[in-house]
Amino acid sequence: MPRPIPIASTLSPSHSSVRLSVVVPFYNESQNVCRMHQAIVQSIEPLGVAFEMVFVDDGSKDDTLELAIEIAKADPRVQVVKFRRNFGQTPAMAAGIEYARGEIIITMDGDLQNDPRDIQEFLTKMDEGFDIVVGWRFNRQDKLISRKIPSRIANRLIGSVTGVPIKDNGCSLKAYRASVIKHIPLYSEMHRFIPAMASIAGPRIAEIKVRHHARQFGKSKYGLSRIYKVLLDLMVIKTVASFTARPLLWFAMLSMPMMLIGVAMLVYASAAAFRGAVMSLPIAGTGLILLAGAVVLLSSGALAEVVYKLGDLRERDFARLTRRVRRPALAND
Amino acid sequence: MTQINPAIQISVIVPVGLRHADLTALHHDYRQALDETGRSYEFVYVLDGVIPDAGEALEQLLRSGERLTIVYLTRLFGESTALMAGFEQASGEIVMTLPAYDQIDAHEVGKLLAGLGAADIVVSRRWPRAGGPLERMRRSTFHALVSWMTGLKLNDLGCGARAMKRQVLEEISLYGDQHRLLPALADRQGFRVLEVDVRQSPRDRFKGAYRTREYAHRFLDVFAVFFLVRFTKKPLRFFGMIGAVTLAVGSVLILYLVTERIFFDEALANRPALLLSSLLVVLGLQLFALGLLGELMIFTHAGGMKDYQVDRVIEYPSAQKSA
Repeated sequence: MPRPIPIASTLSPSHSSVRLSVVVPFYNESQNVCRMHQAIVQSIEPLGVAFEMVFVDDGSKDDTLELAIEIAKADPRVQVVKFRRNFGQTPAMAAGIEYARGEIIITMDGDLQNDPRDIQEFLTKMDEGFDIVVGWRFNRQDKLISRKIPSRIANRLIGSVTGVPIKDNGCSLKAYRASVIKHIPLYSEMHRFIPAMASIAGPRIAEIKVRHHARQFGKSKYGLSRIYKVLLDLMVIKTVASFTARPLLWFAMLSMPMMLIGVAMLVYASAAAFRGAVMSLPIAGTGLILLAGAVVLLSSGALAEVVYKLGDLRERDFARLTRRVRRPALAND
Repeated sequence: MTQINPAIQISVIVPVGLRHADLTALHHDYRQALDETGRSYEFVYVLDGVIPDAGEALEQLLRSGERLTIVYLTRLFGESTALMAGFEQASGEIVMTLPAYDQIDAHEVGKLLAGLGAADIVVSRRWPRAGGPLERMRRSTFHALVSWMTGLKLNDLGCGARAMKRQVLEEISLYGDQHRLLPALADRQGFRVLEVDVRQSPRDRFKGAYRTREYAHRFLDVFAVFFLVRFTKKPLRFFGMIGAVTLAVGSVLILYLVTERIFFDEALANRPALLLSSLLVVLGLQLFALGLLGELMIFTHAGGMKDYQVDRVIEYPSAQKSA
């Protein structure tokens, strides 16, 4: 398997001179690339932090890539990662995070809706000891019906299911400690759930208000189309985040009601037979089906235990990871 | 995997199965066509199973000084495995697969190679193509199914003549009968796929009839690739969908029965619908559990998996960085 060359090891940030990486995915944003670059530079340079930018071109069809390369030529702090074709926002974020070298990684949208001027506050929060800082677009500039209301419902739901009450999971502007985020698997459409995924590692999560601008250029790329996907993804998160260490338990809980009802029905049917009455076939049959189903589910649980054992990702790995994290304050650099 | 040999530009892999033409003549045809392109090449023949006459012919060619590699597989493994075994011996930057029987006019291989400028994998479409209306219908049904399931519109997946960059086979490992769907898998990895029209060989006629089993196999292959392409990273999307529908139907039915029992005093005991509904509920839950199990597998292995393929990283180093 050919793998991209790892540029800097996360576990040894001391080898890297870069403290902050700003990851920005672009997809057909030719009008925004240069503006974005300028805005980032203008807001970070005064802070006196060694930083770099990772621009991910998600297979744009316009001249986004060419513009990004021009910027990289002029500014050595810019690294451009080009995708073979369009893969989507989560993969773009994940790639940016993979190639980022800083100790702190900030992700943001490439459409100028996030404001780089907020980066300063994110850094302050990180210095307070938080591992993940997420932005909250408290005054969101989007359509109410198609964007804001569904998102509010989704966030409530995500918060109550995952136990990580974040008001705005969809906001791309987030800051992560590299040592934490680089070990969290980001796949499928998980960008919405990164804090929840990260909660497996038990990091300290903070939420701060960020500015949000209406889209000036280019077109919005999402819409209200994926309720069912979000629901299923949520189930996945719930499964992997809270039960990875004990999959058998999770499946056992699923099967328990079936088993109880099944046994009750069987007992009821046999009791009738003992009393000399005719045994009810549908009831006995249903009882058997439920019982059999419960057994199959339990077996799935056992299988899950095996899968988990053979996999290369464990809860205790996450635990080990966060325990190790201790860092100097910004001023000491 | 062998090292890339800069002296060789093109590695030609020919998987030889039971159905094969006179290899001596075929080899000369292919050779002549490749000579015309003016590039350096090597041949790798893979004998899929014990095929004495083909082995004989190839040994003969080898003795007469032809530069070719012969790979003997111990038994019949199928074309996909044969291709992968051949690829292990290939050292060229470009890999071509060519059929061991006359499918295309050998002189058309140049066209395939020319297509690689704009694409990562070039597949051929025999055109114009012989065949009666029934055969044509069978073909178009198959390809319509494939394009519906994988989203890639191609017209001749059965043609074994392809040219691709080495990287394509390095990233995709084929098994079973997936060689036909190689372009769909390549597309999934973000490679650019191109189909070019090539002249059909006048001798390309399959005389036997396809058995039902063949159809079933073909369909299962398409389904497997469909699943791999769409749901590898999100099995719950697939199982969850089916499971949820089953569960919903079962629950509604149960609710209906219970309502009848409570409000209309209809006895539950003599109703087979009770069996059906509980069967559906149990089935739905199990499908869901399967999906979750799949997700767990993906999650625990996600460290090694990627949802993206990076084409290149562009960076201009400076004094600040090297310091």
